[in-house]
Amino acid sequence: MTDAAVPQQISGRGLGERLIDALLSGRGIWPAVPAIIVLMVVAVVPFVILLSLGFSNIVVSRGEIVSQTFSLAHLTNALTDPLYWTTFQRSLNLALTTTLLCLVFGYPVAYLFLVGGKWTKRAILILTIAPLLTSGIVRTYAWLVILGGRGVVNSTLMNLGLIDQPLRIMNTHWAVLIGMVQIHLPVMILPLIAVMSRHDSRLVEASANLGASRLATLRTIVLPLSVPGIGTGAALVFTLSYTTFVVPQLLGGGNYLNAATMIYEQVVFSLEWSKGSVSSLILMVTCLIVLVAIALVTNHFTRWTKGRDA
Amino acid sequence: MMHQHPRTASKVASSVPVLRIGAVGKQFGATKVLEKCSLDVDEGEIVTLLGPSGCGKTTLLRCIAGFLDADQGDVRIDGQDMGPIPVNRRPVGVVFQSYALFPHMTVARNVAYALKMQGIRGAEADRRVAGALATVSLQDFGDRYPSQLSGGQQQRVAIARVLVMEPRVLLLDEPFNALDAKLRSSMQVELRQLIKRLGLTAIFVTHDQEEALTMSDRIAIMRAGRIEQAAPPDEIFDYPATAYVADFIGTSNFWKASAAGGTVPLPDGQRRQTEHSGDVQIMARPHNLKLAEPEAGEWRGHVQFHRTIGALIEYHVETSDGVLLQVATMRQERAAPFDDGAAVSLHIIDPTYCAVYPAS
Repeated sequence: MTDAAVPQQISGRGLGERLIDALLSGRGIWPAVPAIIVLMVVAVVPFVILLSLGFSNIVVSRGEIVSQTFSLAHLTNALTDPLYWTTFQRSLNLALTTTLLCLVFGYPVAYLFLVGGKWTKRAILILTIAPLLTSGIVRTYAWLVILGGRGVVNSTLMNLGLIDQPLRIMNTHWAVLIGMVQIHLPVMILPLIAVMSRHDSRLVEASANLGASRLATLRTIVLPLSVPGIGTGAALVFTLSYTTFVVPQLLGGGNYLNAATMIYEQVVFSLEWSKGSVSSLILMVTCLIVLVAIALVTNHFTRWTKGRDA
Repeated sequence: MMHQHPRTASKVASSVPVLRIGAVGKQFGATKVLEKCSLDVDEGEIVTLLGPSGCGKTTLLRCIAGFLDADQGDVRIDGQDMGPIPVNRRPVGVVFQSYALFPHMTVARNVAYALKMQGIRGAEADRRVAGALATVSLQDFGDRYPSQLSGGQQQRVAIARVLVMEPRVLLLDEPFNALDAKLRSSMQVELRQLIKRLGLTAIFVTHDQEEALTMSDRIAIMRAGRIEQAAPPDEIFDYPATAYVADFIGTSNFWKASAAGGTVPLPDGQRRQTEHSGDVQIMARPHNLKLAEPEAGEWRGHVQFHRTIGALIEYHVETSDGVLLQVATMRQERAAPFDDGAAVSLHIIDPTYCAVYPAS
């Protein structure tokens, strides 16, 4: 009851309580320390080791490195090898096409989420999140069943008499592209929905009240405000599909060479770790370049957020 | 049910109203949100839809704007049925509770939006935008983004944004909710003066009775989807049409009585005329009651407690038959106030300001 009792209570807290309080106070980087330690051990250190392999000549004996000397040869070899250029170009094309198609198919769904009623919103959320509950490998295998020679698509088309022989879809570029778009679509839709539901739904009504048609509202209000979501979704889908291994490996039938499957073959089959290391570096750098480009474009269209609270 | 007063009667005599809401009904599923709402709003009039949350006032506003379609009845502006007119073609400007300013556009582009949608560009658009911004005293803020403005400034942008398209009817949905209390009362006066100066016809939605009393030429009190009474503020206060209205606006005292032969006896011995008979309830405002020494009258009670509010003294009195009443008197009326616990007699100052309602 007395005033004197209060400070006594505060100083009487235990060490553990004070430690937890310090961690939760948000001062410094303390709350992030456990995550940083884990990342250092499982990501940064192995990555540095991997990079060091790419810039050195190594001699491997019985699975162990017996000598290592600095060399830029692997990098110059890779940059002058036309196989690298075509492979990375194929990866880039595939990833950019996937990103674009995900945007084309995902944006209308997100728009429907914005303008739809309560049940529409719920249905969209469930249908978007449900595929993420299954492993990407399982979903990719499902496409084998659908697109295969005796799969659902071919048997339907043949039963309808539209084709005489099964179309060869599996193990082609098209199978890979279809799988990529389906697997990555939720990753595009979710950030779009997040951004669209962040804005006041009255903005759409205000626009209509001020004389705008639905199309004009979409063009002048909804689209500009969803740019951050487009940027986030595009960055995520691009990163995932540029570096993907499972989809091209399974739906491409083992002969679809993109950056990830190439690295896999270099490291696992031909045991050329230095080549694999350089390929990984090129993959990472080119990926970062595209991500920076996406960020710059996004920033250009969201300049209005900068002047806030100035 | 509607209490007819000479002033409203003369108002009805004018020609086609700017806005006519005719028996509008609206249902969401099984819930009737609006039921036979009728209201005429004349040129240059400010009418407030006042009621507790869930009474249907915002739904009615959204029916006028066209965000919702009425299930029954019609909304007419200058005599034209708005039913087939889509939301983006109605001559109506809405100021939203949240203002709904476009965050990615500067103030000037927000204001120019309606003009752009009408295909008005260039010098004329610039001139009209500048004019609208000057009207709300924001001429120097055209290059700012909404997030760089204070709440009051944002509200003025929202008003300028609809003024620029010269709407026939201005709809304001609880426009002061997002402002702090001090700013609110000054903006109320300012906005009323602005609307009057521009000669606009406006409908306000609010649940704040003080705001309604400040802003309105007429107040429409809504309850459970119906308009209980639509009348000027002083008339609503002095002659509430129903016990609900009396209870909702201001402080009111109720007690039961029995009417017969066109009059009802008042407890202090006076009588009041009434069209009701049988069990009724009588309403008197605190300032229509006064206290005197116990021997001065037959309606007795004692003071439970009293408090001084500026120039007023508010007494809480329990009558001898157990009814709790509030009495408000000017402080200077008596040299010293009645003490708590003091025996008093109660008197009705003017029986015509007592309302009589059928017993509920």
